[in-house]
This record gives sequence, structure tokens and C-alpha cells, in this order.
Amino acid sequence: PLKTWSHQAGSLLLLLVSNLLLCKSTASLPICPSGAVNCQVSLRDLFDRAVILSHHIHKLSSEMFNEFDKRYTQGRGFITKAINSCHTSSLSTPEDKEQAQQIHHEDLLNMVLRVLRSWNDPLYHLVTEVRGMQEAPDAILSKAIEIEEQNRRLLEGMEKIVGQVHPGIKENEIYSVWSGLPSLQMADEDARLFAFYNLLHCLRRDSHKIDNYLKLLKCRIIYDSNC
Amino acid sequence: MKENVASMIVFLLLLFLNIRLLKGQSPPGKPFIFKCRSPEKETFTCWWRPGADGGLPTNYTLTYHKEGETITHECPDYKTGGPNSCYFSKKHTSIWTIYIITVNATNQMGSSVSDPRYVDVTYIVEPDPPVNLTLEVKHPEDRKPYLWVKWLPPTLVDVRSGWLTLQYEIRLKPEKAAEWETHFAGQQTQFKILSLYPGQKYLVQVRCKPDHGFWSVWSPESSIQIPNDFTMKDITVWIFVAVLSTIICLIMVWAVALKGYSMVTCIFPPVPGPKIKGFDTHLLEKGKSEELLSAFGCQDFPPTADCEDLLVEFLEVDDSEDQQLMPAHSKEHSGPGMKPTDLDPDNDSGRGSCDSPSLLSEKCEEPQANPSTFHTPEVIEQPEKPKANVTHTWDPQTISLVGKMPYLSVNGSKSSTWPLLQPGQHNTNSPYHNIADMCKLATSLDKIDKDALQSSKTTEAAGEEKATKQREVESSHSKAEQDTGWLLPKEKPPFISPKPLDYVEIHKVNKDGALSLLLKQKENGDQTGKAGTPETSKEYAKVSRVMDNNILVLVQDPGAQNVALFEESTKEAPPSPSQNQAEKDLSSFSTAPSDCRLQQGGLDYLDPACFMHSLH
Repeated sequence: PLKTWSHQAGSLLLLLVSNLLLCKSTASLPICPSGAVNCQVSLRDLFDRAVILSHHIHKLSSEMFNEFDKRYTQGRGFITKAINSCHTSSLSTPEDKEQAQQIHHEDLLNMVLRVLRSWNDPLYHLVTEVRGMQEAPDAILSKAIEIEEQNRRLLEGMEKIVGQVHPGIKENEIYSVWSGLPSLQMADEDARLFAFYNLLHCLRRDSHKIDNYLKLLKCRIIYDSNC
Repeated sequence: MKENVASMIVFLLLLFLNIRLLKGQSPPGKPFIFKCRSPEKETFTCWWRPGADGGLPTNYTLTYHKEGETITHECPDYKTGGPNSCYFSKKHTSIWTIYIITVNATNQMGSSVSDPRYVDVTYIVEPDPPVNLTLEVKHPEDRKPYLWVKWLPPTLVDVRSGWLTLQYEIRLKPEKAAEWETHFAGQQTQFKILSLYPGQKYLVQVRCKPDHGFWSVWSPESSIQIPNDFTMKDITVWIFVAVLSTIICLIMVWAVALKGYSMVTCIFPPVPGPKIKGFDTHLLEKGKSEELLSAFGCQDFPPTADCEDLLVEFLEVDDSEDQQLMPAHSKEHSGPGMKPTDLDPDNDSGRGSCDSPSLLSEKCEEPQANPSTFHTPEVIEQPEKPKANVTHTWDPQTISLVGKMPYLSVNGSKSSTWPLLQPGQHNTNSPYHNIADMCKLATSLDKIDKDALQSSKTTEAAGEEKATKQREVESSHSKAEQDTGWLLPKEKPPFISPKPLDYVEIHKVNKDGALSLLLKQKENGDQTGKAGTPETSKEYAKVSRVMDNNILVLVQDPGAQNVALFEESTKEAPPSPSQNQAEKDLSSFSTAPSDCRLQQGGLDYLDPACFMHSLH
């Protein structure tokens, strides 16, 4: 992942000359401050790749949750307890389309970053804890591992995008702290299962949020709201 | 008083009835929220199924509260979604939020509450089907025509802003087909279909799916008629090609049918059967005696004029037991064995010889007039009666050895039939005969002779009659007939006479294969038999009749003198069953079918094969 992103950056110079000739009508973007034409092309690629990653992460998260629920917690009504229990709920993210469209794209990008950062820690621990489960389910474990890796890649890409869209301004790295680790390690089987259930439930939701936001941003930034 | 009591009773009764009716009602059953759907991830609707209504009008209310809130709300819209539904508008819809929804059923008797349903709009998105499905057949130049399918996303879904990303799927089929052909179209709102059957009417449908949601239902069918692409010219070309290929197929079938056998034999050559070395049965059958004999390394047959000296052979047969057969040698007889000892050891295939001890003892020791004591393979000829100047014609056809002892029939004993040597058994070189067979015949003859002698000592016929066997060797190149010429011995017992035996001498063999037999004038016989004066000799070239089986009566050509003699002799014969039989046969033969007569070089030949067929 790191290599890929650096390759992208390195190709900027190469594309500069060709893009001067090729690039014609594209959405006028106020977000490339230097006015370099190549900025748009690479941004489009960055966004395309980001959307692909976020879409993939949510798909994996949804599958992982469904498998876990079916296998361990089906019919036990854990959902009733998993109300308002995600650690990222404190982050004031838009709750519907109108709110999301009203928010500025920079803020929206920042929100995406915050959510992504908030999940670094939980994903890491999720992998270790799922591995430690007795009868570690392979499907769930492999998905957890991949989600963790993709999430890291997406975070890097998003930081690059932000660097292009909003260069120069580096905001404080705000994110929600996850404190659910002790719950994952509890001795009580039921409590532990619920902790996992809750974590996976929140992961599914937040990955969907990120995916939705990035698609909104892509259509807005790259295609001028004309996807 | 009594009226009051009566009315009281009636009242009470009515009261009881009312109470009973009232007891039939009950609180409503528990409703059940069975489905919640959002068509565009901005609004959603929930539907419930009411429980038993308890016989009373029931009021349903839907209440909910959201995740992170404590306020309980009631359904904002019971109408839009239809009966027993609740529609949540945009204002009331939050994404990534769990709704806890319950339905209350209330009637006069009571109320009941459904189980709460936890709904997150994020995961219940099911859009409407795409709209404006249009079909168009496009005919680009230099390319095959194709069907261009276009559609629009459902009206409510916001794809432009990216709020929802839709993926499409189309399916089509010819009108009468049973199976749909499905194609995934991705995120594009158009599709090109290339593989179409011209002249068919196609039905097309499309549906869509949000990036993380459910597939919509299929859109209503759109139909289009594909124009027939084939021009008349194409059809003509195909008809022509079909006709041409049919003709070619028929020609091939005909050729295979005609030449099938030869082709098969070419591919699978027939396995050759066991063959006697140097002997070819097919040549034998076809009458190619020359080729056959040449395989043996034989000389030409029939012998040419040069071979006349070869043919001066005769046998002296005496009825006296002491008399020995004196085989005559031909001078220039080349080839195996004049004498038993001269047998070519190398060329012994199938040919027995009198060298074989058993045969030798039997034959050579018996001095009887055994006509079968042949040393000369050429012609075995039986000395005939005085009148028996027989000329026989070589009928250079198949070899067969048949003979008969006529006098056997007189004795009543069964006439033995010389063993019929199959052509295949004749592996001797021409003009050599199968000595072994001869010897066998001789032995059998001897036995018969002995019997005959014993039975009728008075007759000296023992030695007289000999069955002459005639072997005919394939000589000519003539194909065709497998005629067997017979040398006659036919003599019957009637011919037995005390006269001294006559010898018939083979005078010569004509070029066309006719044997000329000379009546031997002298006792010593004419050895050389060089072309004697034909005038003094009588040529027996005519077959008068066939007697018994396989005995030809040859007649002197010019005259019927001998014929008369023969006939008389026939009549003199003591009647015997077989004699009668022979007469019958003769009579039948006298009217031999004319078609059995063969004309060859002025000589009449009867084809014994005809007789054979008629006999058997």
C-alpha cells in the first residue's frame, strides 16, 4: 500500500506534460491550489481507489457481522443491548443526506479521517482477540485481518487526498478513543460475546458511513454532483 | 305480582343473554411488524399484520423511539403506505440509527402490543425498478446489427449526488423461449446486445440494486421485433450450397456402393486361406489351367504337337491274373516318375506314388487287369472291347477323376464309384496325375475285380472293364466352363467277351486338345504313336451317350458302326437293376439336352457337366 501511494505521487511529474495536452473539460476544482492540471487526474484516481477500498471494507464488515451473529448470538436479542454503544457516536457525523450535503467537503473529509483513525485500535485488537477465541472461526478471522489492513490503506489514501484537497492545513488528529478492550477479554462468555457483537455491529455501521461519505465526496468533487 | 315476576324473569333472561354475547369478545391479538423498506435511503415504510381482532373494531397505533433518544414518537403517516402501514418521511428518517418500533392494537376489550422491531434504514434499502426502458435495433455500417437497450434509474433514487450507487441487470428472451438470458450491466444505464436471432420478437426487462441493499423487482416487459436480416441473395446462396453438398454426398454414396467391395478389400485384404504350395484354387476354378500348371512349373498344357511322343502311352490290360500291366513310357516324358522310383522327390506335393509301400504292394503285385495301374500320368485309358476304340477328347478343363466299374453293376454289387477327386486335390504337375489316387482306385478296383471274378468266374470281364479315369488337367487358357471330359470306360458286363482285349492307343492330341485314340492294330502296340496315318485310325470324337454315372460313350465320328455295337452290347446285358437303371439313364441321356452339346472344331462334345447335373 505504501508503495502504491508513493508510486502515485511519483507519477505526478510524468503526467504533468501529458495532462497539459489531454486534460480538457473537467469539473472546475477549486481544491487544487497550485492550479496544476495534473492535480485533478490524480485526485480522481485517489478517489476512485478510496471508494473501492471503502466499499470493500463495508462488504467484509457486513459479512463478518452476519456470520458472527448466525454462529454465536442468533436469537439472543443482543441488538437490544447494542443501542447507542458505539464509541464513535460522539463524533458528530451527518445522519442523513441533507445533512451530509450541507456539510462542506473539507469537513466531511475530516470526519472520514476521524472515523478511520478511531478504528485503528479496535481493529488491531479485534484480530488478536478473535485469534485467541476457542475454535477461532477462520472466516471471521481472515475477514478481520483483511479489514484491518484495508483500513490502514484507506487511511493513508485519505490523508493524501486531504493533502491535495486541503494542503497546508493540518488539523489536530481527532478521533474517538476505544475502550472496549477489557470487554473483549472478559471471562464471562456471554459478556464477551456481547462485546464482540457490539464491536462488529459498530464496525459495520461506521464502514458504511465512510463508504457513503466518500461516494458523496467523489461525486461532488470529481463529477460535480453529476454521477 | 305475577306480572312483575314474569317481567323480572324475562329481564333476567335477557340480561344473561347479553352477558353471554359480551363474553364472545376479546382483546385484540398481537400484531406483527413483518416488513420495513426504504426505496431510496431517505424514507421508509413499515407494514404490520394485525392479530385477531377479537370481534371488535380495533385501533392500531405505531410508536417508535430512536437510538440515543428517549422520546417516543408516533407514526407520522398511516396512509401513504396503505393499510396497516406507517410511512416515515424524510424528516422523520435518520440513517445509521436504530429505530425501535412497536404497534399497539386496541379495542374495547383491551389492547395488545407487538414485539419491538429494531430497524436501521441503512440495511433495508430496496429501490423501485428502473424506468423508461427503451429498445432500438441499430444497423451500423460494416458491422452486424445489434440491440441497444436504454433505461433510466428509478425516479426516487438520488444517484447524481452519489447518495446511492445503483447497479443494473437486464434480461431478455425471444417471445416463445422458456429461459431468460441475463446480463449484468454494472453502473451504466445502457447495454448492447449482439447475439440476436433475426426475425424474432424479443422481450426485455431490467432491475437495479443499490450498493449495499436488495434487488428491485423486474421492470415491466418491453418488446421489440428484430427485422429479418437475411437478404434473398443470402438465401439463394445457402440453397445452392445445400443442393451442391447433397449431390456430392449422393455421388459419394453411389461410388462407395459400387466399389465398396473393392475398397474394402483394398483396405482389409482378405486373409488368404491355406494353400497347397504352388496350387491356386482360384485359377482352377476359373479354368486357367495354364497358369495353374505353370505355378507348378509345368509345361504347357494341352501338350502341343511336340508332345505327341509324350502321349504314346498305353496300358495293356489282360484279364489274366498273371498278366502284368506294362506301363509304357513316354520317351520324353519329363517329370516325375514313370516308375515309382523315378518320382521326383522334390515335387511330391500331394501326389502319392506307387513308391509308397502300402500302395505298392497292393497295386504292383496284382496283375489283374487293373486299369488303374498308371505309371503314365498322362492318360489313363482303359482298353476297351474290340470295338472300343475310343477317342476321347481332352476337354481341358477341370481335373476330375471319376470312374466307375460297370461290371460291378452286373454282379449286383454296388458299383463303386471312383473317388471323385476334387480339383483341389490335384496338386500334381501336369500332365501328371495323382498317383496316389490312382493307386487307391486301383486297389479298390482290384477288390472289385476280385469280387467280380469270384462271383462270375465265367466272365472274363474282370480285366476287361476298366474304369477309365480320365483326368483332365487344366490346360487351356480358356476360362469358363468347368467341363469335365470323361474318358469312357463304360463298358458293361455285356461287353465282357472272351475276345482278347483291345488296346486303345492314344494317337495324338490335337492342338485344340482333342485326343485321338487309335485302335491298336497289333499286339505290341505302337509305341511311338507318332502321327500315324489318320486314315487308318479311327477317330473317336463323338460322345454318343453317357452311361451309368460318369461314363461317356465315345463314338467314332464318321460312322455309327460302333454305336450300333455299343447299343447292341447294351441290350445284351443281362438285366439287372442297375442295368435297368443304366438304361434309364441312357435313355435319358440319349435325349441329352441339346444344350449340352458343344461344338468345337467340328467335333461334337457333350458337356458331361450337364449330365452330371441332371444325374444328381
